[in-house]
Amino acid sequence: MKKTATTIAALLLTAALAHAQLGSGTGTTTVSVTVGAEAALNVSNSSTPLTSSGTNFTNFTGSTGLTYFIRTSQSSGSGSVTLKVTSDFSPANGPSVTTPPSTGDKLAYTCSVSGTGTACSSSQTASTGSSTTVITFGVDNHTTTFPGGDTATASWTLTNDPKYKTGSYTATVTFTISAS
Amino acid sequence: MIIRRNRNGNMAKVSGRQRTITRWRRYGLCLLLVLVPRGLPATTKTATQTLQAVVSAEGGLFSFPNSVSLTKTGSTFSTFSGSLTIQYGARTTQSSGGGSITVEASADFTPAGGPSIASPPSSGDALQYTCSGATLGTACSGTQTVSTKSSSSVVTLAASECTGGGGSCSSASPNTVSLTFTLTDDPKYKTASTYSATLTFTISAT
Repeated sequence: MKKTATTIAALLLTAALAHAQLGSGTGTTTVSVTVGAEAALNVSNSSTPLTSSGTNFTNFTGSTGLTYFIRTSQSSGSGSVTLKVTSDFSPANGPSVTTPPSTGDKLAYTCSVSGTGTACSSSQTASTGSSTTVITFGVDNHTTTFPGGDTATASWTLTNDPKYKTGSYTATVTFTISAS
Repeated sequence: MIIRRNRNGNMAKVSGRQRTITRWRRYGLCLLLVLVPRGLPATTKTATQTLQAVVSAEGGLFSFPNSVSLTKTGSTFSTFSGSLTIQYGARTTQSSGGGSITVEASADFTPAGGPSIASPPSSGDALQYTCSGATLGTACSGTQTVSTKSSSSVVTLAASECTGGGGSCSSASPNTVSLTFTLTDDPKYKTASTYSATLTFTISAT
């Protein structure tokens, strides 16, 4: 009798152990993410034509549209959109950012923003030697429209110097956005 | 001189040779008793016992990473992504059984100001996942969106599914399935070193 009772107990215990080895009905995991400062920029125009109306040497004008996304740090964050003429007008004998035919000739722009950030406050002169400001961002700045993005416009003015020879002239302007 | 009753019932003298023979018979009997193994039954009896095991449908989740980090790859404001593999075992009822592994956000991202499953800062923000490589059952198809209000599918189990051993059961034991998570990188999230949410996986089998 004693021997038979022991066998039954062993079978019951084995069954219990086998059930425990199958794991549990639920399990949890923690999903975590680090969010840092970021910035992204798209230029809306494939190119920016500068045109002059009339025949009395009114300045050439045009505008470049920007779409941007920004996130600056909660504490001590900042950022900006700047531009720089990375390739002067060519071919020669027309307008020039670096060596204009007349001292007053220039490529200038004004800024406007629809969204986060502060547009440049007055007319800026574009340069091949250094970057100039388009938008300034402060602490904890965030794009207000997502996924569409915020927008800005750089409105150009180019002196219409009679010394320019007739023809088509192109320059390259590079926009840069940064955030910290 | 020793006098003993003989086989005829009469008292008679026992010779020395007879005493020796008697003595050896006695030793031999003792020796025989010693050499005979103990426990040899004189008779054999049998008894029967019926053992009954009721095998039910079961499912279990085994150890898997208790955390998954979502990181950025590629261009700015591209999604955060990360992967997770879970282990499981299951047995579903023959012919009419089934089961599943599901996942639900049991705790939304904290602290506030960053991503949120229940109340994202932009309507298109979402924590989503795809499933692949289920070694038992069918992995979820397409992109699933994690919710705090309801569970979403990871693996669907059919009838007669079982883990391990091959043949009609899976060859793998435990079984595994991989999930790839993506999280919208909304510029509206405030910067922070860590935002965390808790996901609860549940397995069931019938």
